[in-house]
Amino acid sequence: MAGTKEIKRRIVSVKNTKKITKAMELVAASKMKHAISATISARPYSGYSWEVLGALSEYVSKSTHPLFALRKPEKLLIVLITSNKGLCGGYNSQAIKAALASLKANADKQIDFISVGKKGESMLGRLGQNIVASFNQVSEKPKLSEVLPIIKLMTQYYENAEYDQVFVASTSFFSAILQKANVEQLLPISKIETMETLEEMKTKTTRAPVDYVFEPDYESLMDIIVEKIVRTKFYQLILESNASEQSSRMVAMKNASEASGEMIDDLTLMFNKARQANITREISEISAGMVSA
Amino acid sequence: MTKQLKLKIVTPERLILDEMVDQVSLPTTLGEITVLPEHIPLISGLASGDIVAYINGEQIPMAVVGGFIEVKKNESNITEVAVLADFAEHVSELNDTAIEKAKARAEELKTLMENKDHVDFEHFEAELERSLTRVKIADKWRTRKYRK
Repeated sequence: MAGTKEIKRRIVSVKNTKKITKAMELVAASKMKHAISATISARPYSGYSWEVLGALSEYVSKSTHPLFALRKPEKLLIVLITSNKGLCGGYNSQAIKAALASLKANADKQIDFISVGKKGESMLGRLGQNIVASFNQVSEKPKLSEVLPIIKLMTQYYENAEYDQVFVASTSFFSAILQKANVEQLLPISKIETMETLEEMKTKTTRAPVDYVFEPDYESLMDIIVEKIVRTKFYQLILESNASEQSSRMVAMKNASEASGEMIDDLTLMFNKARQANITREISEISAGMVSA
Repeated sequence: MTKQLKLKIVTPERLILDEMVDQVSLPTTLGEITVLPEHIPLISGLASGDIVAYINGEQIPMAVVGGFIEVKKNESNITEVAVLADFAEHVSELNDTAIEKAKARAEELKTLMENKDHVDFEHFEAELERSLTRVKIADKWRTRKYRK
């Protein structure tokens, strides 16, 4: 009978798909591990830089560093972080949605994009958004040197007043099953927020404030540290996005493997039923033949 | 036992070193300084060069580029030196093949720099400085003895 052969073919094809999704799941799981440990090992640096900024806190409000400069927001720049590859569940669409939501909220302003990752680039292109720069070379194990050009470009745009605010749309990593896309303001660095964070840090430590000696002087130190803080923040966003990408790919592939497992079970049942029906029919045909003879 | 200080070297990518040492010499933007236990709290810019930690008469050299240092007393009253470098590497990691690569890269960057615009220029400059520092520090420590 025709049915059984076709069902068999489908079972084989679903089995092959399952093999692929299973392999992709395992690969994504190991990449996720790397990505998470990279995110964690990047933390001490940012902790220490905040501590140093804390020591300089009384100069924060006085600082005239260009990255602190507050301007009336008219031209905005959004940096959209997405992946280069697909098959990672809702990861890319979430980030893009978050970016578009802030696009809508600021519809009266001029907004340009910097895209990191091919998926975001093609989506923004389709929507007819203006992309001023596109970076597709960020690898799966992002090094600081890979993201430096992006940071350089952003800060330069900001310092030259080509844009009044710079946002980053990225995905924060909470756990292997929970990632959230959000849009954060990167530039200007808000003095108020910075002071609040520093105050919070102060209340947490019981230690008396230390009288540091500053070399060469606090102004030039401030310049260095402000730059580092922006850099570290962006680098962490990249790392977290990367970890999110891998884990949402892992989850997506796990679901796909499970779904194909179920499909194989259903098809096997169908195959057995069809085969049994065949046998029954043949037997009844034979016995009917015998009766008539 | 003599007093020791805690030396931590971190880069944006990872924690490179976390050890108790006797003393440490660091290249700051104002010149080389040596920090001993009980040093006063200090925050200073870091130049590129080598950090040399001394432990039991042995030397641990690290190549570093850019950043800053923080010297303070931590909770258990031990002097702590935190080095926040853009890039740091133990000299033993700078073996000959890596040096050759760094040299080749430096040359390549130099030629690239001549025909690039401003944005790229600064990026290349940073990378060039990194490559040159690696070569310089590796050459310096080639014939000396140090703890791996």
